[in-house]
Amino acid sequence: MNYRALNHEDIEVFSEAISAFFLNMTHEPAVVRTAYLLDGSASPLWGDFNGVIDVSGGFRGSITFSAPHGMLSQVLMAIGEREHSVDRCLDVVGEIANMMSGRARRHFGEELAISPPAARPRTVPPAAARATGVPFAIPLRWRAHEANLVVHLDIRR
Amino acid sequence: MKARLLIVDDSMVIRNLIARQMLDERLPPIDLVDLAGDGEQALAIALSRKPDFITMDLTMPNMDGEACIERLAEVLPGARIMVVSALSDKATALRAISKGAHGFLHKPFSEEQLVAALLELMS
Repeated sequence: MNYRALNHEDIEVFSEAISAFFLNMTHEPAVVRTAYLLDGSASPLWGDFNGVIDVSGGFRGSITFSAPHGMLSQVLMAIGEREHSVDRCLDVVGEIANMMSGRARRHFGEELAISPPAARPRTVPPAAARATGVPFAIPLRWRAHEANLVVHLDIRR
Repeated sequence: MKARLLIVDDSMVIRNLIARQMLDERLPPIDLVDLAGDGEQALAIALSRKPDFITMDLTMPNMDGEACIERLAEVLPGARIMVVSALSDKATALRAISKGAHGFLHKPFSEEQLVAALLELMS
């Protein structure tokens, strides 16, 4: 079975999805920077919390949102959540990954099957995706915090 | 008559966010808000509490939202259900509506979009 890697248009969808999340949910835009290939010389800087969505259907791989505790605490505060515990940070990081995946599904079509989010602390790094292509990292800054969306997807031709 | 709302989402943060929004004075008062983290819990709560309005996530463990909407349409046909989901493709929205949902709100949503969707659900 033949698969293709993500192209520029595909990556743009994820960048827009990150922007939409911060603008809609926190009313403060994030600065989303240029995506880059994690081609072996670079590795993602996993944050304190990682929300992972596994994909299937005509696709294989995963979509991971990785962020520091400080950012997630401030996101929780911005949306009115009073509790900023580890459990809440795991919850919101998974939910952000879920929203990124949902936007991707609108772009790729309903063949993109997505799993419920799995959220993990940094001490349990995300498992290697089943994709064989090179992953992309999309770095972003919100308030004073840096985070990454790591997209590792193969798409069936 | 007391109005009851059931909020179904596997994210506690989203459940709390919607529940807090119900205090907005633009919305009609709700006397009872119940929370469920998946479709199975939602069905059990719906059968005992008989909510008038339900917000429903789609991607959840155990029983997903589509299966839950289908069951709710059988056992609680009078309840009005609004899907609140990150799955924003048209086919998913149409399928949810064909199974018994009355509306669809895409995540991520703004406060204004949530209030407008809740008003429509409760109208």
